Amino acid sequence: MVCRNVLKIIALCSLCALAAAGCGGKKQAQTGSIVDFPREKTMYLGGDQWGEPNTFNPLCDWPAWPIHGKTDLLYEPLMVFNSLTGEMEPLLAHSLEKTPEVISVVLDSRARWSDGVALTAEDVVFSYNIGKNYKNAPMNYGAVVDFISDVTVEKTPDSLTGGKTQAEKIHFVVNKKGRNNPLIVLDQLQAVRILPKHIIEPMLQKLGGDFTAFQKDKMDKDPVVSGPYNLESYSSEKIVLKRRDDYWGNAAMHGGKLPAPQYYIHPIYKSNDHFSVALQQGNLDVSMTFIPRIWMKEKDGVGTWYKKEPYFVPGCMPLMLMNFTRYPLSDKNFRRAMASAINYKEIKDLAISGYSPELKPGLIMPYGIEKKFFSEEDAQKYGAHFDTNEAKRLLREAGYKSIFDKDGNLVQMNDAKGKKVPTLLITSPAGWSDWEAMVKIAVKDMREVGIDIREGFVDASLYWQALPFGKFDLLMYKPLPEATPSKPWSQLDHIMSARNWKPEGERMNENQGRYNNPKGKNYNRAIDSLLIAIPHIRDEAELVKAYRALNIIFMQDQPALPLAYMPEQFYEFSTKHWTNFATEDNPYAPPQPPFYAGGVKMLWELKEVK
Amino acid sequence: MFKNHPTLRYILTRGSWYFLTFLVAVTINFFLPRLGPSNPVDIILAKAGGVSDNATRQKEESYLKEFGLAEVDKAGNVLRDQKDAPIRTSAVKQFGNYIFMSLKGDLGTSFMSYPKKVTEIIKNAVPWTIALQLPAILLAWIVGNVLGALAAYRRGIFDKVFFPLALGANSIPFFAFGMLLVYLFGIYWHVFPAVGGYDSGLIPTFSWGFFASVLYHYTLPFLSIFLIFTGGQAIGMRSMCIYELGTDYVKYAKWLGISEGKVLFYMFRNAMLPQLTGLALSLGVMIGGALITEMIFSYPGIGMAVLSAIQSNDYPLIQGCTLLITVSVLIANFSVDILIGFLDPRVKAGRGAR
Amino acid sequence: MKMFLNLFKSPSFLIGISLFLLTICLALFFPFFYHIDVRTMSAPMMPPSREHWLGTNHMGFDMVSLLVRGLRSSLYVGFLAGIIATTVGTLLGVYAGFKGGWQDEVITLLTNIFVVIPQFVVLILISSSMKEGRSLTLIAVIIALTSWTWSARAVRAQSSSLKSRDHIALAHVNGNGTLRIVLYQILPYLFSYVFMVFIIQTASGIISESCISMIGLGPYDSVSLGTILNDAMRNEALSDGAWWAFMPATVLISMIVFAFYVINTSMEGVFNPRLRK
Repeated sequence: MVCRNVLKIIALCSLCALAAAGCGGKKQAQTGSIVDFPREKTMYLGGDQWGEPNTFNPLCDWPAWPIHGKTDLLYEPLMVFNSLTGEMEPLLAHSLEKTPEVISVVLDSRARWSDGVALTAEDVVFSYNIGKNYKNAPMNYGAVVDFISDVTVEKTPDSLTGGKTQAEKIHFVVNKKGRNNPLIVLDQLQAVRILPKHIIEPMLQKLGGDFTAFQKDKMDKDPVVSGPYNLESYSSEKIVLKRRDDYWGNAAMHGGKLPAPQYYIHPIYKSNDHFSVALQQGNLDVSMTFIPRIWMKEKDGVGTWYKKEPYFVPGCMPLMLMNFTRYPLSDKNFRRAMASAINYKEIKDLAISGYSPELKPGLIMPYGIEKKFFSEEDAQKYGAHFDTNEAKRLLREAGYKSIFDKDGNLVQMNDAKGKKVPTLLITSPAGWSDWEAMVKIAVKDMREVGIDIREGFVDASLYWQALPFGKFDLLMYKPLPEATPSKPWSQLDHIMSARNWKPEGERMNENQGRYNNPKGKNYNRAIDSLLIAIPHIRDEAELVKAYRALNIIFMQDQPALPLAYMPEQFYEFSTKHWTNFATEDNPYAPPQPPFYAGGVKMLWELKEVK
Repeated sequence: MFKNHPTLRYILTRGSWYFLTFLVAVTINFFLPRLGPSNPVDIILAKAGGVSDNATRQKEESYLKEFGLAEVDKAGNVLRDQKDAPIRTSAVKQFGNYIFMSLKGDLGTSFMSYPKKVTEIIKNAVPWTIALQLPAILLAWIVGNVLGALAAYRRGIFDKVFFPLALGANSIPFFAFGMLLVYLFGIYWHVFPAVGGYDSGLIPTFSWGFFASVLYHYTLPFLSIFLIFTGGQAIGMRSMCIYELGTDYVKYAKWLGISEGKVLFYMFRNAMLPQLTGLALSLGVMIGGALITEMIFSYPGIGMAVLSAIQSNDYPLIQGCTLLITVSVLIANFSVDILIGFLDPRVKAGRGAR
Repeated sequence: MKMFLNLFKSPSFLIGISLFLLTICLALFFPFFYHIDVRTMSAPMMPPSREHWLGTNHMGFDMVSLLVRGLRSSLYVGFLAGIIATTVGTLLGVYAGFKGGWQDEVITLLTNIFVVIPQFVVLILISSSMKEGRSLTLIAVIIALTSWTWSARAVRAQSSSLKSRDHIALAHVNGNGTLRIVLYQILPYLFSYVFMVFIIQTASGIISESCISMIGLGPYDSVSLGTILNDAMRNEALSDGAWWAFMPATVLISMIVFAFYVINTSMEGVFNPRLRK
């Protein structure tokens, strides 16, 4: 009896405590009184950090946000690529000059590090030569030496002071013995971050030049940076950046204005739908995650670049690589039949919520900065469109015969000699829902015309191993998702280049489908010659001709199956706390989230919602 | 000496069996991930891919050396075979290294969160897992047992209504329940927060404001575990109590006229024993459990860490986490055995008679 | 036998059994009434309508068809896991409980080892080394392998208490070997208990399968109730208010498990006289 009453009282008390805490917590969150980061001064973003932050050392291979990728908030590159205009915009350097032998820029003399030291060409030379001077440098720094053979500095009258003082002009010599490609050098200019030599070199010397030991330093306590924000704190739930009011670019490039948010916070959630819910509720201001049916969130203040379909600006092409060393994928008619069998509209509508404009054949996008290289008449003449009858005709004429059962399901396919064609598998990582949907639709469509193909979902770890070693029949892949100055050349090179051709089982970093074997009898010399020539062509008309020729070869041979267009990143924002994001009506910045490359300049234009 | 101390002998024999289990489990947990075909360094390189051949090769070598996965010659260069693939160290050799390092307290460096140390990752994740489950499990155990005992004792309408309810609650998969709670209270009626451990605008400090925010965010996850676990406990306790109520000694005691309170006390004590066992076991599995709850509510606990580790073939992290799970489960089981040895007179008598 | 007849007099047993039979009928016979089609795609995320009684999922597949397929798969996994786990657990448990001594210790060791290794570790590792990947059968086998310990423990406790009974001693005296005694003297007594254990194992097998699919480690090519829930979560069905993608699967799982639990309780009530009122 007594026990029961006591327990009843305990239960009642704990419920009251819970309720009190609940109301109290909610009220505080709303009034923002005891919150450490005032909501109206803070910008919350999501989608670029999964898992606990491991390190903030820019010389590690995969540091956490905001160091990885092209987030230029702490460390900055020399220039920034605007994916909307196709221009290289100035950041730490300006006045870009390109020749096929040398690419030059002038360093901005106003650039400063956060400890007051001036950012000079010594820092630039140091950063670009890290791969040359140290062993085991991170891959992006280590690869520079293949593209740039030498970095020289010369003094030149400073245009910013009317020639009264000297500025430093930096020459990047294209490595003729290496890749010999000025386009890739341009890529480096907007990707390689400039690091403080006066901080990092002594640290490396103390460790005897041992990079592996140096990478153990997390560099998370007040790092010396040149960008508009610096690292304030972090934990396994979020990363906090604080605005640097003495950032050199505020005075130099934005007329003395400060970026609007004082704090920039990335909460770390476990899955896409958490970010999506937060965006809907106004707890997140910007996100990069894939959010299906985003038009349903418009009433909650969620916006995208376009107000209607496709909502996002196309930037890359998810496609299926085909392994040329496996039968029957070496048969051109078979491949073209596959390309004609897929209902691309279904893929667009059902797999990616309509986030893609209409797909056209070829590897060059008929939109944006690539549009001038795209030819509609070529696409009509040489390209494969969705046409089931065409697909069936191609298969029939090549001698394939498909056997269906009485329900209309495909049983098997026989080739011209009467032998059974092996069942093909599309390798794709299990759990990547938009890719899974695309694969399932493609399989369904191809089976309907009689191609014996199945989904081959595997764990992500097996997928990453299958890719470089060619251990697949077909493979879902999204090459080169980022917008760079070397596109569309780099896309074509990545799919079609035979310069590093290796048989299945050995590692290849591009053309993993092993197309165009240089030792094979069908080797097409034109492809590699075009790929080598294009980066050096300066005449616009010549360039268009070259790209068209390459694209025609792609459409005729169909070495890969493009499925849709996807944006470089998903650029989504909430207007509950901040407005004036760049959109198609207000394109002052490219459609990139305001912490990424060209989108960073949005930070100075955002306005608080009062 | 041992002959005169049966309890000591009991503890030592049980203890040594548990230690043996521990050794076997550690060995299995080490070799199991390595049986798969995938190679963690390949995964890391592939994800970064498409840069340059030289850089990739250099990186491959440095990672293989760092993780102790490849044979190295005296100069520190990685040995390669005729096909130019690196020669791997045998799993047995890796095991030797692993044991040696662990005894020094170094559980290795995580592959996928390089260069974070495994001990650091686990240290950050465990408090979340425990904080998520411990209060809910304990409270549910208490409340569930009380309700179960009440149902057994009172029977009648309370029992007829309560029992199917508890059974029904126990049938709902707990994650579905969690998702429903999130949908109803987090999204549809915007009453509780849908994600996160505490308000994003706060830094963890020892302040009332922070604790309030934590409690506010904890409500839904707590309820999703508590309500279902209570149901399970109540059902178990109810069965045990009904069983005890029908035993001879209870009937005899009542017939003798012993006060109801005293009878109830002894009845509860006997019924409690298997429930205590269940509690200890639940606490033991706690570290490895609640993966889905962590996923739904975005709590950065051990569950999520292990899952991502397995998907990236992050051997050291997998080993570290499974080690932790092994140790906690074995300790829990061991404590249960000792507890039963002390509390259950039947076991003691049995041992003595041997 | 008389005991079994008593079962049918218990109201809770009848409720449980009817729920269970209802689910079986849904899985087996519903396709005759409703055209099951898991290949055609219509508009995604549509609410229930005349054409699609429970709406469509994120890819435009008919939810009712998916649910029926999923129900079959989940029942298959549950039963297979239940059978394997109960068999292995019972045999080991009876042997350990009956023999005692070092055999008991070794089997307890084995039990503890299996308890200690997390389920999904084993699942991923085994499935990634198999060419066909994760099928329903593989998942069922792994669930069984990681949950037989529960039945082993339960049966062991029962069997060790039976050990000291008179008829066992008589059998010993008669010179019967261990196997004969186990098969003819102990198991019949345990039969009702083992059957209840089987029911619980099956129910927990169904829940385990849905948990595994929720993590994303579900079967590659099949639909199960767990994968339906996983799809709903990944495609944010709930936050868009598409309850039909989520609720029916939950209700089905709860219903089956509830049916099993009720059957189990009523059996307990009949077989254990002390639990009767």
